[in-house]
Amino acid sequence: MTNMTSQQRKLIYLIGIVVLLIPIIWLSLPSDGKGAPGGVLSQLRSKYELGEADLGDVDASSAAMNFALLGMRGMAVNVLWKDLDQQKDTKRWAEMQATTESIVRLQPHFERVWDFNGWNLAYNTSAEWDAVPDRYYWVKQGAKFLKRGVERNKRSTELYYRTGKVVQHKVGYADEATDYRKFFVNDPDPVFKGGPDPVINPDGKDNFLVAREWFEAGCARELSRPQHILDRSLFRSTPARCLFDYAQALQKEGKFGEETRAAWDLARKDWTESYGRETFHALIGPEESDIMLEMTDEEIKQQAGTPDDALRVRKAVDAYQKMTNYRYWRTRAFAEAEPEMAEAHRRLFDAKQAYKAQEFENARTAAFEGMDGFDKILKRPEYASLTDEDILCEECLLGWKIWDDIYQVSGDKIPEEFPLKWLLQMKQENQMIMGNVNKQFKRLFLDNK
Amino acid sequence: MYFDPNEYLLNPVISVLNWAVVVGCLTFVVLFVSMINLFATRGAKGIGIFFDELGEMASDLFHLSPRRIWALTRLTYTEAIRRKALAVFVVFGLLFMFAGWFMGDTKEIKPDQVKVYISFVLTTISWLTLPVVLILCCFGIPEDIRLRSIHTVVTKPARRVEIVLGRMIGIWLIGCLVLSVMAVVGHFWIVRQIPAESQPLLTCRVPVYGANIEFIDREGNSARAGVNVGDIWAFRSYIEGATKARAIWIFKNVDESFLDSEGNLNFENSFSAFRSYKGDMTRPLFYDIKFFNPAKNLAYTTDPQPVNEFRHKLDKIPNKVTVDDVQYDILKDFVNEKKELLVEVSCIDREQYIGMARSDLFIRMPDRPFWMGYWKAILGISLTLLLITMIGVSASTMVKGPIAAVLTFVIYFLSLKDNHQFMDQLVFGRVEGGGFLESVYRLVMHMGPSQELPANPAFSVVKFFDWMLNNFLWLCRHVIPYSQYFNMPEFVSNGFDVPWDTSILPSLLVTSAFIIPCVLMGYFALRIRELESK
Repeated sequence: MTNMTSQQRKLIYLIGIVVLLIPIIWLSLPSDGKGAPGGVLSQLRSKYELGEADLGDVDASSAAMNFALLGMRGMAVNVLWKDLDQQKDTKRWAEMQATTESIVRLQPHFERVWDFNGWNLAYNTSAEWDAVPDRYYWVKQGAKFLKRGVERNKRSTELYYRTGKVVQHKVGYADEATDYRKFFVNDPDPVFKGGPDPVINPDGKDNFLVAREWFEAGCARELSRPQHILDRSLFRSTPARCLFDYAQALQKEGKFGEETRAAWDLARKDWTESYGRETFHALIGPEESDIMLEMTDEEIKQQAGTPDDALRVRKAVDAYQKMTNYRYWRTRAFAEAEPEMAEAHRRLFDAKQAYKAQEFENARTAAFEGMDGFDKILKRPEYASLTDEDILCEECLLGWKIWDDIYQVSGDKIPEEFPLKWLLQMKQENQMIMGNVNKQFKRLFLDNK
Repeated sequence: MYFDPNEYLLNPVISVLNWAVVVGCLTFVVLFVSMINLFATRGAKGIGIFFDELGEMASDLFHLSPRRIWALTRLTYTEAIRRKALAVFVVFGLLFMFAGWFMGDTKEIKPDQVKVYISFVLTTISWLTLPVVLILCCFGIPEDIRLRSIHTVVTKPARRVEIVLGRMIGIWLIGCLVLSVMAVVGHFWIVRQIPAESQPLLTCRVPVYGANIEFIDREGNSARAGVNVGDIWAFRSYIEGATKARAIWIFKNVDESFLDSEGNLNFENSFSAFRSYKGDMTRPLFYDIKFFNPAKNLAYTTDPQPVNEFRHKLDKIPNKVTVDDVQYDILKDFVNEKKELLVEVSCIDREQYIGMARSDLFIRMPDRPFWMGYWKAILGISLTLLLITMIGVSASTMVKGPIAAVLTFVIYFLSLKDNHQFMDQLVFGRVEGGGFLESVYRLVMHMGPSQELPANPAFSVVKFFDWMLNNFLWLCRHVIPYSQYFNMPEFVSNGFDVPWDTSILPSLLVTSAFIIPCVLMGYFALRIRELESK
């Protein structure tokens, strides 16, 4: 070899390269699309969905960036994450967003990256801004970012859930939810000319209904790719829970007509007839059973075979119903169909509006009527379990708080007996409920001020 | 702007004195060591040789020929072109062809997105030109020595100091050529990328900052700072609303030139809002600005203004203002005899806070065109190139190319803001966990930085060793430049003009400070070394 000239050596290297290339080409030969499966590597890639196109939409810039960095991707990503953290601390939001973009181009299929940064934009960055439209802009950025994450990672069950969660929870339950929900349908950015931002709400729907679609897509994906966020029974309850959120939001906004009644009805049907009839593999200690949350005694007997098994299945159904709060929402949905319930909600809503407008006498009357309505419904044996859940109790006790405050301010003697006194006595030791009631009341007071 | 212009202030007199001390000490050490070396190897004769050499060196320095230097500059320039230095344009072209892919949607450009565009262009230009210059300056002389082509130069009637100078100027010029072409392309790229309706965002604001900011607490007492609301970044201090808490700025040398064409004083702020309770979120927090002259017992307060967080808010204050039905002139009645204008800011909303730093309120003078700031930023990059060239060339006269490149890169890397600040922290003992050996021990033993080290002689040795290293670091800290002075792109990308006093002057001073030591060191090394490759 040492006697070879430089040219001869180069020629041998070239031949070696060509020889080695032949098996590589043969192994990774792509399919011709007409039936020939292609090389072994291509077949394996298709089988395990490892191709870039199988994972989600292909981003040419991302692929180019990763290619250009050769083996330095890890180092570049570390530097970018460090920059991101520093930019966040020093409130350089545009730069932070640009860095986020660079990171996802380098790690497009790392789901936690999309999850973390989507959350960061929607929850942390939005909270740093003072004006509500600005906050909403960043919530939207978070949701849009997660949506892009879904498009890049179509196999991911969890990113569907995370996107749905931002649209449901951040838009629908933030302190600024009243404005966010309006903005979701009528975006404050003049670019959208009063309509919704088509990227996150193309059909101009309510946020809870859009969230439901995301959760439904997540549940569909979950059948083939398990998630690791929630117990399966809770995960699959999310679309139906969005309908309850939707119905409650309508009531909170003072809508008590047919639209709200239909929303409760739809929620009940979805809860009991769709979600309630799904089969879950329940694990209670060492015992395993296939159960449905909406199961009659007959169905339990049929499935169990023996009385001992029936007991085990019943125990599992009970445990899962408790875990998912199934019975509460079923009862609540039935109760909401009662005209007295709708009227009680309406009167408490009127009380809040009157209190805000400083029409204290009207507020006191409306609050009393609302309390009285709830008192009658909650005392009915079939709805007694509704007091186990905090949200409805908080609504009732907020009505009492308004009523009580007007008495305190006016100096009138508070009557010894009043509707819902028993509920107040039952819950007044519960710091979480009373804390929330006081917080909501303080907000009314501040609005009033 | 989210950086403190104070950070960049440099006192020219103290800096020059510092420089004289450092260069004097360095020269003395080098000459002293050379003399001792000659004495040790040649005996008493060595002292004579030392002074002869010194005389010749002085003669060389006083007989520089611009013509020869220019000839060597051209030689370096031609050599750099032959070494395909201009191939960097290929990378540059590729980057700019595809940059749009990574920069997001250009349909809805917001002010802070413009910053990303400008920053991208200037950072790319810096990071493409720096390696080119680094390689050229560090490998030129060692390669000439290796290929013996340097003999074709040293055998000519050219002094070695002229070779060093010719190299430095030649490489810097080629760096500047590359930089200029990239800068022109970059400028057009920025202008083209920003849509027409967002073009007004490309501007260079000219701020006049207050000399300092003072705080008054909620009780009305003078305070060192406002309230800390729990931000990790303690850049801003917060004042509480509807209390006696205030922030006071003192603007100096205020005169008619501060007024705009309509006779207004333009105050721009970037205050931050912090709510202790959310309250009515649709209503912004409010502040007011008070101008006062204690000598005349005069005060004028503006109407409450909403905080425009993370954006710029411009308050146009008319020069003629009315207080209790009497008209006053801000410049005549509120500016005191020392030409100072006192400005006080308070938060209106009870239990809410407004955050501010010294640079958050300034008088905005007429804007300058974007190109002016942009080209000043390019000047900053060219000065960095010059600095790198000088360090690299002088290093390459002493060691081989790769070593010189690593040395120069390390010096440059340590000169960057974060690294230099870390070095400062180490030197001044502000880093928990001790010095080099101590931190190695803590790492290996899984000891937290606050845990006490065992008291035994071994750790006294460790601490002594760390103390020695720290002293060496102290020396390095004074020699390694602080490249943040050259960071003019930061001003431009934040929408400001590059100021003379806090950026251009310090960077010119730092660059000049390196000329004499680098040329002398390069010359000294080239003169005493054997020009043969081994």
